[in-house]
Amino acid sequence: MPQVRRSPEEHEVVVVGSGAGGGSAIQVLTEKGIKVTLLEAGPMLDPAKEFKEHMWPYDVDHRGAEEGGAAYFGRGKSFGYFTTTSGGWQLEGEPYTVGEGSEFQWFRSRIIGGRTNHYGRMSFRFSDYDFKPYDRDGLGTNWPISYEDIAPYYDKAELFIGVTGTKEGIRSAPDGIFQQAPPPKAHEILIKKACDRLGIPCIPNRRAVITRELNGRPACHYCGQCGRGCLTASNYSSSQVQIFPAMKTGKLKIIDMAMAREVLTDGSGKVVGVSYIDKRTRQEKRVRCRAVILTASACESARILLNSKSKHFPNGLANGSGVVGRFLMDTVGFGLSGQVPALEGLPHYNSDGIGGAHLYMPWWLWDKHNQIGFPRGYHIEIGGGYGMPGIGSFHGQARRFGYGMRLKEGVRREYGTTVGFAGRGEMIPNNHSYCEIDPNVVDKWGIPVLRFHFKWTDYEWKQARHMERTFAEIIETMGGKVTGLSAAEREKEGISVPGTIIHEVGTVRMGNDPRTSAVNGFCQAHEAKNLFVCDGGPFVSNPDKNPTLTINALTWRSCDFLAEEMRKGNV
Amino acid sequence: MSSANEPLVQIEDPSRRDALRSIALAVTLVAGGQMKLEAAQHVHARARDEKKKTGSYAPKLFNDHEFKTLGRLAELIIPADTVSGSARDAGAPEFIDLLASQNEDLAAVFTGGLSWLDAEMRTRYSVSFVGATAEQQTAMLDSLVEAEQTKRARAALGQTYEASEHYRDFRSYGTYGAPGLGPGVAFFGWMRKMAVDAFYTSEIGIKDVDFRGNATLSEFEVPKAAIDHALKHSPFAG
Repeated sequence: MPQVRRSPEEHEVVVVGSGAGGGSAIQVLTEKGIKVTLLEAGPMLDPAKEFKEHMWPYDVDHRGAEEGGAAYFGRGKSFGYFTTTSGGWQLEGEPYTVGEGSEFQWFRSRIIGGRTNHYGRMSFRFSDYDFKPYDRDGLGTNWPISYEDIAPYYDKAELFIGVTGTKEGIRSAPDGIFQQAPPPKAHEILIKKACDRLGIPCIPNRRAVITRELNGRPACHYCGQCGRGCLTASNYSSSQVQIFPAMKTGKLKIIDMAMAREVLTDGSGKVVGVSYIDKRTRQEKRVRCRAVILTASACESARILLNSKSKHFPNGLANGSGVVGRFLMDTVGFGLSGQVPALEGLPHYNSDGIGGAHLYMPWWLWDKHNQIGFPRGYHIEIGGGYGMPGIGSFHGQARRFGYGMRLKEGVRREYGTTVGFAGRGEMIPNNHSYCEIDPNVVDKWGIPVLRFHFKWTDYEWKQARHMERTFAEIIETMGGKVTGLSAAEREKEGISVPGTIIHEVGTVRMGNDPRTSAVNGFCQAHEAKNLFVCDGGPFVSNPDKNPTLTINALTWRSCDFLAEEMRKGNV
Repeated sequence: MSSANEPLVQIEDPSRRDALRSIALAVTLVAGGQMKLEAAQHVHARARDEKKKTGSYAPKLFNDHEFKTLGRLAELIIPADTVSGSARDAGAPEFIDLLASQNEDLAAVFTGGLSWLDAEMRTRYSVSFVGATAEQQTAMLDSLVEAEQTKRARAALGQTYEASEHYRDFRSYGTYGAPGLGPGVAFFGWMRKMAVDAFYTSEIGIKDVDFRGNATLSEFEVPKAAIDHALKHSPFAG
């Protein structure tokens, strides 16, 4: 047994995890003068040392293929050598397991800022109807809060983070307070024309990038390399936008390399602190505090709760209802690309832009469900333009054009003429998709690990086929030709592998009824007033809007509530 | 803070990292947050200039004959033309040698593949690949590409040997695979993929495709000529 070190220090609020939820909690609470202690399972982030923004592939001898050509063997860094991801689908010594007959992949970051350092930065508000899904189609469950409850916090989050966009008045994609959106790229103008013909709205993208200076952060310089980490902090990451500034307030204490094991309760069932493993010494340590906010990511927070067993909470903390780990959802993903002859011979230009597309298509058939044969919907993300060549950029041409001048000229002709479409759709929570503690496996820190179970149902498969038809229609309407998957391959790969869109949510569901939910509408545990969960865990549904902005807004709302409860002496 | 004309980034002897750190620092220090374009571009230019030119390269894994064969294959895969140099000029042999020297599996693909190629060339023409004429070399590569494309076309239709009614009837294998050329097809796949990557990730290749990005702009604009061209050639013309 490792000796347990008890810190004599009494902390105010302990936050576990430093992604979108943790960063927002730190920002909001320290601004109010409340002292926060952050436990992060990874190390401190040093952008100047770690970000590879503006590097050319030839600046490294391996050109991005990594030592021994690891990228060729699927063993390279997730999303490529030049990205700023820390973590991946598998972490050394920190396994998870998957139940028989299921498939699930879990991406975890271990670094200050978590997955916000590299995420896609799509920032979409949920629609009014997204909070009441059961009322519309009898599937899933309503949220205990409504759009009106969260709207002021979307405002605050957008104003603080900075999100591009335009006012459009589309019900599925409520307008926000936007930074100026950049103009569309050449291929996107064609895509928009095609969408106009097909009756699909195609509007300026909403990404957490600033095109005008904000709170001392300079405007975007249009290198398109958000995924590498932005040295000028012109996009949102919780590390650069929330945590680093909070460090200057003197109100934030960061304990890095701290792997949370469980939330501690006293004899009366009150939360009194967190126990964690110091990864540098493998010693178990404890922090005592007034309140705990879990922001470790939906599944990691569920894991911590399930592992926090005591006399009072034999099923784990906040789990009297048994819902912790249940209702696990990812986003439904499907992608298709096409080659567009109209883009051949185009005078080349710098199409990098704000990183990612400048237009996107919000869901447009929210009142046509009786015609389309499946519930809920999806939005469409766009790819294309003259990307910086990298490892693998022209493997497709290499296979099609053989070798020699035919290949060299083929690449010249086709470079920048491909467009891609990715659908991001809503899954209905089901009884076969959940995570639980694997009774037989612990990680290298001795902490029991998660076991995942997952199933797509007909709802998701039908939606993916609708995406496929739609994308093919758009490509053909632009005069292009679908490339990539053959019919035989589509049958196998016609929907994303569960977990791989990295929008896993729902495992610490919120609700008004303690018998069917773990936390209330303020993300406060029904069973412990001084315990909050502020990540994707409390999501009741997983609308076709990427979850980060809603995590920011929900956390802000919860922390306003927590601060007020602390002031009143209720927490 | 700083006046408009004052250079924001002053570097004595910058490594790339230091240079980028200086940009970040400069940017965070500027009132109003406007980055000075010249300063940033200056740093990028310096970083490029400092890239060491490859002089004579001593292969880490391959012997001289193998290395020479890699070079010939690379220039057949992406040849030099009036626009730009070849994959050999872009450092493909060095790139492959470096990575294969760090990875036994990759080393086996290349040493085995090169040896297979020479053996096949000797059977066909009684000469090694580098010793053969250009016509003999391209005839060899043409047969590999043809075998590869036949195989792929069948696979796309679900017509693989494993899925066929002839599975386990070994006499039928030739109909579905590439008789005798299987190892060559696999090797050439690796050779071409890595030669293509080496070329298009080099300064030569990036210039060849006319990539204009990785810059620092104060506003994003799309040239009218590009939009006009796209619309004119699209179904939305007129």
